Amino acid sequence: MQGTAKAGIPAAERQSAGLKAPLWLFRLTALAAGMAIFFPPVNPGRISEKINSAASLFTTGISRDTITNSMGRILRSQWIQDQDITLLMIACVVTMVGVLACAAGACMSLGNRKMRKTGLILPIAGAPVAGAGLLLIHKAYQNMTAHGEEVGKLDTIKIMLPDGFTVFCVFAGLLFVTGLIAFLTTRPEKDPAVKMEMEEKYRLFLMMLPVIILSFIFAYLPIWGWRFAFFDYKPGGAIGPENYVGLKWFGSLFNDPATMNDLGRVLRNTLIMSGLGIATSWLPIAFAVLLAEIRSTKFQRTIQTLTTIPNFISWVLVYAIAICIFSTDGFINSFLTNVLHRTGANTNYLQIADHTWLKMLLWGTWKGVGWSAIIYIAGIAGIDQQLYEAARVDGANRFRCIWHITIPGLIPTYMVMLLMSIAGILSNGMEQYLVFENAMNKDVIEVLDLYVYHIGIGQNQIPLSTVVGISKSLIGVTLLFSANGISKAVRGESII
Amino acid sequence: MSKKETQPAMHIRRTAGDRVFDTCVIVLFLAFTFICIFPFYYLLINTISDNDLVTSGRVNFFPMLKNAAGDAVFGVQINNYLALRNVQDLGSSILVTVARTLLGTALMVVTSAWAGYLVTKQKMWKRSFWYRFLVITMYFNAGLVPWYMNMLMMGLTDNFLAYIIPGMVAPYNIILVKTYIESIPGSLEESAVIDGAGTLKVWLKIILPLSVPILATIAIFGAVGNWNSFQDSLLLMNNRPDLYTLQHRLYIYLNSSSNLGAMMSQGGTVSEQAAASMLNQRVIQYTVSMVSIIPILLVYPFMQRYFVKGIMLGAVKG
Repeated sequence: MQGTAKAGIPAAERQSAGLKAPLWLFRLTALAAGMAIFFPPVNPGRISEKINSAASLFTTGISRDTITNSMGRILRSQWIQDQDITLLMIACVVTMVGVLACAAGACMSLGNRKMRKTGLILPIAGAPVAGAGLLLIHKAYQNMTAHGEEVGKLDTIKIMLPDGFTVFCVFAGLLFVTGLIAFLTTRPEKDPAVKMEMEEKYRLFLMMLPVIILSFIFAYLPIWGWRFAFFDYKPGGAIGPENYVGLKWFGSLFNDPATMNDLGRVLRNTLIMSGLGIATSWLPIAFAVLLAEIRSTKFQRTIQTLTTIPNFISWVLVYAIAICIFSTDGFINSFLTNVLHRTGANTNYLQIADHTWLKMLLWGTWKGVGWSAIIYIAGIAGIDQQLYEAARVDGANRFRCIWHITIPGLIPTYMVMLLMSIAGILSNGMEQYLVFENAMNKDVIEVLDLYVYHIGIGQNQIPLSTVVGISKSLIGVTLLFSANGISKAVRGESII
Repeated sequence: MSKKETQPAMHIRRTAGDRVFDTCVIVLFLAFTFICIFPFYYLLINTISDNDLVTSGRVNFFPMLKNAAGDAVFGVQINNYLALRNVQDLGSSILVTVARTLLGTALMVVTSAWAGYLVTKQKMWKRSFWYRFLVITMYFNAGLVPWYMNMLMMGLTDNFLAYIIPGMVAPYNIILVKTYIESIPGSLEESAVIDGAGTLKVWLKIILPLSVPILATIAIFGAVGNWNSFQDSLLLMNNRPDLYTLQHRLYIYLNSSSNLGAMMSQGGTVSEQAAASMLNQRVIQYTVSMVSIIPILLVYPFMQRYFVKGIMLGAVKG
């Protein structure tokens, strides 16, 4: 016994190898239930439609304002009694405490046998507590219904049992059963000298878990939103078997003339603007190389400082600057009028749709070239000076030095940048084009990202915009991996 | 001219061709730098000149005021900035933007420092899987609308928290911190562990103080990003104009065709209305723009030393 206790976890794991399933089921359920506390769609406490649909169980338990912020009249007229809301809040807190105890138990179950055995007591106690909380929620539900009937306002206060209530009942039941099985199948630690401990690997993992959960919620969970692509969904509506349309929206990319027309135009704009960007992607290198030719480092640094500033202002501000230079009463016009004494100089250059692609490229260059050059400037500084000396001894002039030493030294970095921009050829962001967009240039400035914004958020065509977004994401990932593959094959180095 | 250059070695002495070339390069850079800087200067002088002169386009290169005789003379005034107090909704958006910049940046830095430290721990259960789990989110996103629907589902629309919480986990910054921490000699940490320090204590007492340079880098870039944020406000705050960020507010000002004088606080005192009439639409736009540029220009000198670190470390992927 002494020996197995010393060996700690491995021995314990060997013993319970056949019974790991309930333990893992318990841990996963506890994780899911713990996250569900912060998840508005499964709030068991939303027992009236008048309770904010954006409130999670957590919010319902701690913030009275959130519960009541859209029931002013209902409360004033006492159609829902204050005491029932208080009961609801207490019930939510109790449920939450129960679930969190289970979650804590799940964390502890990663420890050594003693810790696991102790930790598994938590769900056996916590799941019933959560159950009691749910009963209290049900009690609040009954009270409100009874009172609503009494005052005859049941239609107004819209009492209901939310889906989340069922979900949490299932959670509580599962947690109790799996926790109990796991507890019973974990043999107690007989050696009183053994302390509660957790292997470092699990300890570190638990410390990391909050970050992983956040990342999951904000970066992975949106993929769940792809389901809208398969339904005839309208904002505020529901999705279910009755409006399931399969691949209809994907099909509309290829057989709906209006959509195809839009997409063709938008793709043309996207590819041309990205293409122009790629075609001029050598500019930062030229910038860096020429800057390095200036002998005064003070001058170099000043130039670099000043030309980088535009990179740090937002596109909205770039647009503000565009207005102050190019609009009807901007610099160009007032310069023409008041300095060169031209009459009739009142063109609003921003409203002219000609050469929009080129103008967008120029704005992008104005904003970005100084910044993009920094990586090459650093690259030049990293080139071995002996190479230059050797070349000069061999009779190379400065242009040959640039051509045969500096440029080849920068090419690897450039290739990475180039491949990344090819991989991102469909994503040129929407801010720049959104701010410069107007009635005149709408047709030529709308890029894919902006189009998705317009149809999705502007016109509420959720399914179609989701389909476009999915296609874009998939193409983007494919391009990225292809670029990475090329990079690996050619340079033996991956870029991601 | 480069073709004619035949003089070998002894490069220290410059040929005539060299000199012409150098001059061209310098002129080129001066011109480009002028283009980069002048708009900011022009914006500034338009906000500190006499508004009538601005409207009639007489402010071109220097700030101008009217003298007693009504002629334009060199001079500055700051009344436009003082009058901003009366511009409706501006105060709340500045407050929101400052709050999100401070809170959002602080939380992002702490999270990155914590996660960046933990992912250097080889002993973590499935470490490389979780590291990839975080990093891969840089290259992939579900799309704008699914993201929006997710935020809706999470109750983060019309909610200030939407500015702060989603930005906490920044994979790129986690990579930067991780790469930096890996360059710190492991012996420092080991000796602390031998002295009985736990993970949290090592992080607080050893890792954090040593990684100040990289934390400053990500903090400053994060702060600029937060200050410039526009898209999340545009997408998520439809019913809460009081939560619009400064850039979003400015975007609205820039696009409002009606006279912004109408946007001044309604029913103010006589002096406020006088102030309101002093400001015309353009001047409000310019002045608000200036207000949102100034903080960037103020932190800019401090940022500079972190540029190269920020970019170069990113190139060294994890």
